[in-house]
Amino acid sequence: MKKLLAIAVVLLVAMPLCAIAQEQAAGQPKEFVVYKDRGARENHYTPSGWMGDYGDIKLNDQSLENPHTGTTSIQFNYSAKKSQGQGWAGVQWQNPPNNWGSKKGGFDLTGMTKLTFWARGAKGGELIQKFVVGGIKGTYPDTSTVEMGPVELTDTWKQYTVNLAGKDLSYISGGFGWTTTADLNPDGAVFYIDDVKYEVDSMMKPEGKKKESMPFYVYSDRSSASNHFIPSGWIGDYGDIKYDGVFKENPYLGDSCIKVVYTGKASQGARWGGIYWQQPANNWGTVDAGYDLSKATKVTFWARGEKGGERIEEFKVGGVMGEFSDSDASGIGPVILNKEWTQYSIDLKGKDMSYIISGFCWATNIDVNPEGATFYLDEIKYE
Amino acid sequence: MKRFFYFTLTCIFLFTATALAAKPQPKVYIKKLKNSRYQLIVDGKPYIVKGVCYNPIPIGQNHEYDWWSDPNKPWLVDGKLMQEMGVNTIRLYQGHEDPQEVKQVIRDLYQNYGIRTILGHWLGFWEYPCPLYGDKPFQEKVKKEILEMVNLYKDEPGILLWSLGNENNYSFSGQVNSWSSDEIDKEPDPATQKFMRAKIYYSFINALAGEIHKIDPNHPVALGNGELIGLEVAKQFAPDVDLISCIIYRGKTFGNLFNSLKATFDKPILIVEFGADAYDAYLKKEDQNMQAFFLESQWRQIYENLAENKEGPGNCLGGAMFEWTDEWWKHNENDAEAWKAHDTESNWSNGSYYFDIKAPKNMNMNEEWFGIVALSEEIADGLNKRIPRKAYYVIREFWKKPDLGKDKKRKVNKK
Repeated sequence: MKKLLAIAVVLLVAMPLCAIAQEQAAGQPKEFVVYKDRGARENHYTPSGWMGDYGDIKLNDQSLENPHTGTTSIQFNYSAKKSQGQGWAGVQWQNPPNNWGSKKGGFDLTGMTKLTFWARGAKGGELIQKFVVGGIKGTYPDTSTVEMGPVELTDTWKQYTVNLAGKDLSYISGGFGWTTTADLNPDGAVFYIDDVKYEVDSMMKPEGKKKESMPFYVYSDRSSASNHFIPSGWIGDYGDIKYDGVFKENPYLGDSCIKVVYTGKASQGARWGGIYWQQPANNWGTVDAGYDLSKATKVTFWARGEKGGERIEEFKVGGVMGEFSDSDASGIGPVILNKEWTQYSIDLKGKDMSYIISGFCWATNIDVNPEGATFYLDEIKYE
Repeated sequence: MKRFFYFTLTCIFLFTATALAAKPQPKVYIKKLKNSRYQLIVDGKPYIVKGVCYNPIPIGQNHEYDWWSDPNKPWLVDGKLMQEMGVNTIRLYQGHEDPQEVKQVIRDLYQNYGIRTILGHWLGFWEYPCPLYGDKPFQEKVKKEILEMVNLYKDEPGILLWSLGNENNYSFSGQVNSWSSDEIDKEPDPATQKFMRAKIYYSFINALAGEIHKIDPNHPVALGNGELIGLEVAKQFAPDVDLISCIIYRGKTFGNLFNSLKATFDKPILIVEFGADAYDAYLKKEDQNMQAFFLESQWRQIYENLAENKEGPGNCLGGAMFEWTDEWWKHNENDAEAWKAHDTESNWSNGSYYFDIKAPKNMNMNEEWFGIVALSEEIADGLNKRIPRKAYYVIREFWKKPDLGKDKKRKVNKK
């Protein structure tokens, strides 16, 4: 009798708990929509955060041209004209609109394990440097930043997935976004995005830090999908520098190379200048986004001077220190360039390349180039 | 006959063993353990350098001030505070022209507070004209000064080790105090020129180390170096130095410093200058939390790389924070009026101290605010009153109980 009573009590206690658990499971939404259709009640974020060369972007949020589902998709037309002189552009879906972390907003998306979206290019071959989830900084920062890319679009709709398993999604005000560069799309790009949503998928597992395969390019060709890092970190007399990443005359390999003109006019009074290739753009150690390049034993690149005799004080990889620092640094220099293409190598043996946000850098100064220097770079890669 | 043979053999063995046992160990030396791990041994015991850089310039004075002859003896007040914090070593960049005064400081600190001294020498780096390390008369002059220093102080019980140079290696690329020689000037390739300077300088250091060892086997000789720059050349030309004493400003982490040194030049390392300032150049106010955060993180990394910690490369001997007191003269060293003001303008930029990197022009490093103790304009015992900052207490507690990470629960034995 005592046993029966005990069982009954256990059942009485356990049954409501089970019911609560079931209710909670049922109450947990299986998906959370970023964008479905123009004006859809389920849309939670707004594509309000235009970045970089925002003048290069045109948005049509009611494109009727072959949507993936429903009646509309979003069409982006990126002209790559560098209206603001940045060389890159992007759009972030935000909540509330225009929130760069200065306002409270966002959503607690805990439990979601992936973000899916559909995309297509107008012609196919359009290159999106990366798609991003979260990443808003400021007073009310997102709890995660997750990136995927580069992605080469096809001319038919294709679904893409960003793995969010194991990520802290307790505060996400930047629901979705994309960035790309003029170098990747020198003639611009027209592309469409549809059906962006967070989903619960128990099959998704947290991704470990991926060790990148070699070779790993910093720069291969003007619009190569294998390019990594952005030449965004202009240092010293940045006004003395002109950068052309689509220079087509006499590249070492492929159809283009990089042309750099350093005028040596001390525009900012520093008397020196240089460029860091960064991941992502303008990351001075503030964004946790390093590549694991542990497999690399050296960085090689080809360089030549316009006249021969141009002196570069240092070619370098890594070495930026911040909240999220490069794990190590290595460099060569000073180097006096030849008029002919010459290959140089930066030794990485014994170096810790497990976290690299600064893929490549050059720096020089007026004292050693009193009349400035014009030089070319090509095939910059980790091997 | 056989018995005699065994007797003789035993005698030889005993004699040799006794002779070996009688050979005194140096007072201070570096013990090489398995897998190129290194430990500093002082008076027969492992010693972790828990140090501070010491240059107690009072408010209103500049670097030319002769604090050694200050009748108020600032080192006594400071030594007591240091002892209470757990500091066991000070770093002096160079001695003073009056050896008796130098001896007095070293003795007072050691006898009263058990604090030992790393005695350094600039190697003429800031002399005018610029240092000519390839010039024989210049070398002889510096060598004479160094050997005089060693002879004068080697028998002081408070001496820990000698540190030669500071960031003199930055002159190889001409960044600071550029120097040359006829041979270097003839070389057209700048990278080769840089190598030639490094070879000349490190060969000179090696010769100095050899000479010091001859007259003082009791104290190690450190090669002072800015970062690890040039040490691949030092490996070839300065094998006789006992350790590297590095100056490192990398924010909260030393990164791959310890492994990188092991791969470049397998010597023990003492981080002889590191730290953080206590002024937020972005918010324009003192921020003791920021300084304490960086310093604690830096000490944690030092401890993670000691020989005692099996998980690290084990080549670190400790460190000396920059610095004990603020120095109010530093921002504008040519203006005597400015020495009386605690200047809040930044002198340089370093992104690894990221809390205030958004300051105008990214100028976030405040050279006058590096003190573990602040100086007050209030006078006590003839000195500017010392006011310990938060870092003083945070590091004191860390040294008492070095917690190397909440997740890993690693501890290092206290020494």
